[in-house]
Amino acid sequence: MDYDFSKPHRQSAHGIIIMTASTLIKITRALIFPIVIAFVKFKTVSVLYFLLAILVIVLVSLLFAYLWYLKFTFFLNKEKQEFVIHKGIINKDQVTIQLDKIQQVNINQSILQKIIGVYGLKIDTAGAHGEEVSIKAIDEASAYNLKAHLLNRATSASPVEEETKQIQPETLPFLKISALTLFKVGLTSNYGQSLTLLAAFFYFVFHNLREFMNIYEVDKGRVESALTGLTTFFSVSVLIIIFLVALLVINLVRTFVKYFELEISKHQHSLLISSGLFAKKNTLVSPDKVQITAYSQNYFQKKMNMFNVRLKQAKNGHAKNGKELHGSTLEVPGCNVTERDELIKMILGKIPASAKLFIPNWRFLNLPIFFNLVLPIAIFLIIGFNVPQIKPFLPLASVYFLIGVLMIYISYKRHRINVNEEFIIKKSGIWDISHEIITPNKIQAITTFQYPWHKSVDVGHLCLHTAAGQIRFKYGNYTEIKNLVNYWLYQIESGDQDWM
Amino acid sequence: MSQFENDTIDIRSIPRYEEIELNKPHRNYWKIILINLLIFLLLLALALTAVCLLVPEVKAYLTTIIIGHLTLAALLFLLFKASFKKRGYALRTHDIVYKSGIIAQSTTIIPLNRIQHIELNEGVFSRIYKLGALQIFTAGGQTGHLHITGIPIEDAKNIKELLLRKLDLTADKTEVN
Repeated sequence: MDYDFSKPHRQSAHGIIIMTASTLIKITRALIFPIVIAFVKFKTVSVLYFLLAILVIVLVSLLFAYLWYLKFTFFLNKEKQEFVIHKGIINKDQVTIQLDKIQQVNINQSILQKIIGVYGLKIDTAGAHGEEVSIKAIDEASAYNLKAHLLNRATSASPVEEETKQIQPETLPFLKISALTLFKVGLTSNYGQSLTLLAAFFYFVFHNLREFMNIYEVDKGRVESALTGLTTFFSVSVLIIIFLVALLVINLVRTFVKYFELEISKHQHSLLISSGLFAKKNTLVSPDKVQITAYSQNYFQKKMNMFNVRLKQAKNGHAKNGKELHGSTLEVPGCNVTERDELIKMILGKIPASAKLFIPNWRFLNLPIFFNLVLPIAIFLIIGFNVPQIKPFLPLASVYFLIGVLMIYISYKRHRINVNEEFIIKKSGIWDISHEIITPNKIQAITTFQYPWHKSVDVGHLCLHTAAGQIRFKYGNYTEIKNLVNYWLYQIESGDQDWM
Repeated sequence: MSQFENDTIDIRSIPRYEEIELNKPHRNYWKIILINLLIFLLLLALALTAVCLLVPEVKAYLTTIIIGHLTLAALLFLLFKASFKKRGYALRTHDIVYKSGIIAQSTTIIPLNRIQHIELNEGVFSRIYKLGALQIFTAGGQTGHLHITGIPIEDAKNIKELLLRKLDLTADKTEVN
């Protein structure tokens, strides 16, 4: 095998199969219900035509995949430090990526790719284009070699090092998440995401069920009466328990699928994070591309001595495009204290030392209490006193008020920033308490603002814009904030440290 | 903490962003705001008349509509006047500062070495009064970008040239690295 990427390369020929399959999957996903309905509704003669149509679709996608394979070439331009891809069946596209714009290179393997024995390689870039490039089929050795070439442009000049790396590519992982830890993680975190997933699933099922019923002209009344019968059979509390169990199970499954055998190892200048149950996902991150290093912990996780660490990288694309593209966040769940510290040390170079603490003014409480508690409760009371059906529920308002006050007070108590010479640490959260750490050189722009009625009490707000999102500190002492801003500006402008 | 305290002495000698003299947008920019406002109000008035003519039931509320329109006009006038008065920008050696806001006064500062690219816009009316608007983008996304309006076009071009030169300088530096 030669690993000279300076000449145009094609993908592995298996790519034709992958491409065909992915096109077919897309088509099937879009047409699954029409197809099922067609199967049920059509008579036998038309089923034949239908199968013929499927055959034609398969052949056409195979042809396209073949053409796509022929036209897709990539090479590395060492002099210009560019990675160039030619592609396009009808249109000819040339994608050029400057190597220093590359954020991360992912090597993935889906189930199909695993069966055929190839890997997929995806390049994330930051900057003006925000284009994402993926190579769908490449053999393992080439994949890792190309990745090394793409990311370690500094060392690519010395081939000797490459050789040694070739022989010993396995470095010992310094962080491994065990199945037991994953189990704990699944029980304690990311409920929100699972909840949306569950909601989306129910929506999907009901939506399609209704279409299904419309087609078969199922008597709606009968279904509804059956449903109401079910709900009375299971009392509401039982339903809630079922729902919660389903949520937990989904959460567990999701966690296992995503983070199974999560390992982090150090490679020359970057971290290799690999995880996944079905599809193994390998991500290579260079620490200086990480914009915000964050870790969070909730009450349960605190009891189990666990942290979720998140490495936020720059959002792809550009403000000029007008749309906010997804930021790429890498999550490492279930770290213990030493593992967390090790990870932070890898990214930031050291553990942030003790820092000066800044706390918000008590006026922090005013607006949330007014808009989240006083206003809705007032509206509720007004409606409640006029609509007799709601009247018995009026005492609920006091419960809502108490819980609300407690939550807002906790969020106020947790809203802190710590600043020292090298780091800015923002602490926040009600249930999940998160710490976001940035170095001043990651700041892109700073906004400070103040309401006129806060001028006399010297209270103001601060927003630090970074490439991976904003960090806000609200209701701080405005004089202190201004001092900090001047200090950070001085740090950013006097040093020529780049932000990635 | 002690290390940070050490630096607080330094902080006093650091240039302070809140004390710099800001350039106000050009007087003529107020005229452009007025022209735009008038066009908007005129279009709104036309649309309302059309509704009144087409739907006879609405005619009964004619006075309410006229009063509403006039209050809106007055309100918008006052808001724009307030926001116009409070805007200001300044270019320093290492950063660009922009202050704005109707009620809350917000100040955004972008260090020049964080600028991604710059746009100079000239509208139809701006061209008549020889004014331009500068847009300055950073990697900080939508919220981290500046839109400075009502700069005399010559100044705007100069600022743009200057910033671009800075950009090239930083780009060269990273390439050497």
